Amino acid sequence: MTPILQMNQVTKRIKNKTLVDGLTLSVQPGEVFGLLGPNGAGKTTAIRMMVGLMKMSEGDVLIEGASIATNFREAIVKVGAIVENPEMYKYLSGYRNLVHFARMMPDVSEERIREVVKLVGLEHRIHDKVRTYSLGMRQRLGVAQALLHRPRLLILDEPTNGLDPAGIRELRDYLRKLAREEGIAVVVSSHLLAEVQLMCDRVAIIQHGKLIDVQSVHAFLESRHLTQVEIEVDNIMSAVRLLEPADVVTDPESRTLKLQLEHEQIPATIDRLVRGAVRVYGVTKQTRTLEDKFLEITGGESVV
Amino acid sequence: MFNLLLNENMKIFRRTRSWLLIIGMIVVTFVTLLVVDNLTTGTQGSSDWRVNVQKQIEADQAQMENPNYPAHMMEGLHQQIALNQYRLAHDVPPTDRTMWGYLLTAAKLMMVATIFTVVASADSVAGEFSGGTIKLLLIRPYYRWQILLAKYASAVLFSLLLLLVTAVTAFICSGMLAGFQDMSIPYLYLTSNGAIQETNMVQHVVSTYGYQGVQMLMIVTMAFMISTVFRSSAVAIALSIGLMFIGTTVAPFITSYRWAKYVLFENIDLTGYLVGAPPIEGMTLSFSIAVLAVYYTIFLVSTLLVFQRRDIAN
Repeated sequence: MTPILQMNQVTKRIKNKTLVDGLTLSVQPGEVFGLLGPNGAGKTTAIRMMVGLMKMSEGDVLIEGASIATNFREAIVKVGAIVENPEMYKYLSGYRNLVHFARMMPDVSEERIREVVKLVGLEHRIHDKVRTYSLGMRQRLGVAQALLHRPRLLILDEPTNGLDPAGIRELRDYLRKLAREEGIAVVVSSHLLAEVQLMCDRVAIIQHGKLIDVQSVHAFLESRHLTQVEIEVDNIMSAVRLLEPADVVTDPESRTLKLQLEHEQIPATIDRLVRGAVRVYGVTKQTRTLEDKFLEITGGESVV
Repeated sequence: MFNLLLNENMKIFRRTRSWLLIIGMIVVTFVTLLVVDNLTTGTQGSSDWRVNVQKQIEADQAQMENPNYPAHMMEGLHQQIALNQYRLAHDVPPTDRTMWGYLLTAAKLMMVATIFTVVASADSVAGEFSGGTIKLLLIRPYYRWQILLAKYASAVLFSLLLLLVTAVTAFICSGMLAGFQDMSIPYLYLTSNGAIQETNMVQHVVSTYGYQGVQMLMIVTMAFMISTVFRSSAVAIALSIGLMFIGTTVAPFITSYRWAKYVLFENIDLTGYLVGAPPIEGMTLSFSIAVLAVYYTIFLVSTLLVFQRRDIAN
């Protein structure tokens, strides 16, 4: 399957600062993909390069094979996006805003505008000036604007900003439905782990402009209770035999073994080694799960 | 491209501000002409213009005898006498209080129309940046230069509209004050070498408005450039109106420098050429047009280049 979004070694440098460093990832049709990272990690810069608002210093972004750098018009026509806040023309009505953007895209009928308005639930207020909208309503109008031309790739930068819990759930269900039924790819950025967990199939963790890890949320949820434990013993061979059938990684030089354990299994494991006459010199818990990694990155406070 | 133009016009005309500017222009034109009319009523004395002109000549001649009269204004008096004598000799009545005279007075209001257009067009690009809408505007299947050109075209159209509004309002108002007549009276002026010239009045008025339109176009293009480069409508409005006033004020004082004739503001007011009075001795209309064309190209090209290359980062 050809990916809808393909980023190859995308890099942004401004003077001596590297904002985004060699970002490579791909998003498949039907997939909701999360960009997770603390504020200032380079998520928004990455998104700006995806849609051609910023030029890449190196690398390329392909949208269904069309390069955003060299074939901008063909690539961007497949993209619908909200970059940062959903800022619209405040002195125009919601409807006029949609007409404005519909005129800039091929084949958006008035019928389609009405359809999208209904979809985001703005029928009753669409002819009011945007000035009078709440943040949540502006967010909906932003989503409407991004969906008008039936894009293949939908990019939403921090889409749940300003939405109440019901609105977040609604948006999530809608995005999943869009991805599943129409086979479009959705890229969502967020600094909230919980949000990304709920919405996305896969998550890329970004820090200091670098891609730390890409993992499926499913595997990530499974692994989140496991901790990597390192145990120093006198006899590795008998220790491995005692711990069978656990998946153990050994390091004969430092006479340590590593294995994934749930927190509650740690005392029993040590007990088994001691009873088997293996001398234990040390037990170290390693923080190598994705959640721990993310906590390290964000300092913990932005995880809800 | 046509859709882009529709969009930009929608953003201008669905804004209350634009309509206030248009109505403001109508009011300013009306009030100015009424005030001018009021100030000159009752000063003409006799109903026969020949008597009034004769009186004016005598008054001016008396003034010239006055030893306290400033020497640098003598030249002006001298010219006025010559013109008035020509009127009597060739039976050409003065035009000040005719419809065409009023129209000519109102042409000076193009400065106000220019300021109004600057207010509207300075926001065209800068407003997209300050409102954040630029991010949604530029992720469409158009090149940036197309979007910018649509914005520029709509700004020029708006200035053209204000020019027409001013001219039509002035025409109606002048006609109401002085009657829709006197079209056959020629317009008189003194060339720089002292010769008196007659010219068709209607043609003179139309040319004056046209040349004022050129000045307007230059200022609007400059404001548009400043707006794009600085991304701030306040800076664009202040800087371009400030430059316009400083430029036109300073222009007459630097004419002695050799480089002066290449300065934008020496060339921007072409109306001098209509009455045979170039801003600097030796300058010609085609020279000024060439200089303006160079400035115009620089303004537009640098606007396009800056806009094309800029990273949209906030």
